[in-house]
Amino acid sequence: MARRKFATLKRFLDYIGLEGDRTIFTWISASEGERFANVIKGVTAKVRALGPATKLVKKL
Amino acid sequence: MENIDKKLREEAKRLLEEKKVDVLIGYETGTLPLTATPCFITNPEDAEKLVWNAFCTQNLAKFVHDLISQHRESQKRVKPEDRKKKVVGVVARGCTTRSIVLHLQERQYARDEIVIIGVPCTGYVDRKRLSALVGGEDIREGAREGDQLVVKTAVGEKRIPLKDALAANCLTCRFNNPIMSDVMIGEQAPPMSPDQEYVEIEAFENLPTEERWAYFTKEMNKCIRCYACRQACPSCYCKTCFVEQSQPQWVGLGEDATDTQVFQLMRLFHMVGRCVDCGSCVSVCPMGVDLRKFLKKIDKDCFELFENRAGSSMEDAPPLSRAKEHDKEDFVFNP
Ligand code: SF4
Ligand code: SF4
Repeated sequence: MARRKFATLKRFLDYIGLEGDRTIFTWISASEGERFANVIKGVTAKVRALGPATKLVKKL
Repeated sequence: MENIDKKLREEAKRLLEEKKVDVLIGYETGTLPLTATPCFITNPEDAEKLVWNAFCTQNLAKFVHDLISQHRESQKRVKPEDRKKKVVGVVARGCTTRSIVLHLQERQYARDEIVIIGVPCTGYVDRKRLSALVGGEDIREGAREGDQLVVKTAVGEKRIPLKDALAANCLTCRFNNPIMSDVMIGEQAPPMSPDQEYVEIEAFENLPTEERWAYFTKEMNKCIRCYACRQACPSCYCKTCFVEQSQPQWVGLGEDATDTQVFQLMRLFHMVGRCVDCGSCVSVCPMGVDLRKFLKKIDKDCFELFENRAGSSMEDAPPLSRAKEHDKEDFVFNP
């Protein structure tokens, strides 16, 4: 069920015009330390390439 | 059409007289020309008011849910041995029955609490389209003559082909005949053009990201957060909607444009596998927000990914309540 929600949410956010790379999902088990580090490295690299978010950001 | 009204009234009267239903929800002629409005009938004599025509816009499943849930709530104050069941009859076209299927699947009420009078549907008139076709002039009088609408405004009389004024969701509707019914009035309606249903969505998908975002923000900037769309939607029935919750507060109430965008995003996303494309939200929106552009995308994804069309069959469980081993996983990030 969660997987199905993620699949539709990612497509939907992309559709309304958020950069697809800003919504990232993956599965990590609590015992997969190395994988966790790799995923986070990958995510930061993707986000850094996109630069700061300007959409759906509330100015307080 | 006359014939359908006659049969509908007879059937409604019979159901009320035989006490098969306690209340019947249908449409009566509206107070403005070329409109119809929902009505609630308890007296068999009043069945004469009922109409079924191209001006019946709202999805009546909304009221079925309201009436039954209010009745159940009120019964909590009654001694268990004195509790009564309330049976609601409803005049239902295709999309209304889809909403009913959804309510049944989501266990909102039982099949024996409702009686469905099925009616064939050839689409309803979109008031905003009609208004645009007469240049925004006030409609003073109007009538349907065959395939045409004769509309009188301050600047004169105009003949408009009915098809030009039909709502977008009706033109490409896949389920214009009831999915299920207890009694069916009239013949099955001819099919609309379901093969065209995603044309608009595909075109939008192919636009560059920034254009899509610009369209989304432009549309959402029109929204005044009156919540009429939520009130009209049969799938929006939560007792406390997230927009009104204060602990935690999911979405701010201020003027900030992002709050409105988040409200819309969340309501739209709650429609995965649940929007039946009845167009009720679109028709009640006072600001003409293009909600369908986004709702139809959700429907498209839901069909592409899970082969499900909301409320189209009693056997087909809601897509978000189950999963298949071979569901696509290409969205998962694996560095
Ligand atoms: S979101 Fe709009 S079109 Fe979809 S079911 Fe609700 S009222 Fe109907
Ligand atoms: S009906 Fe229209 S203006 Fe009102 S909240 Fe919904 S989208 Fe916004």
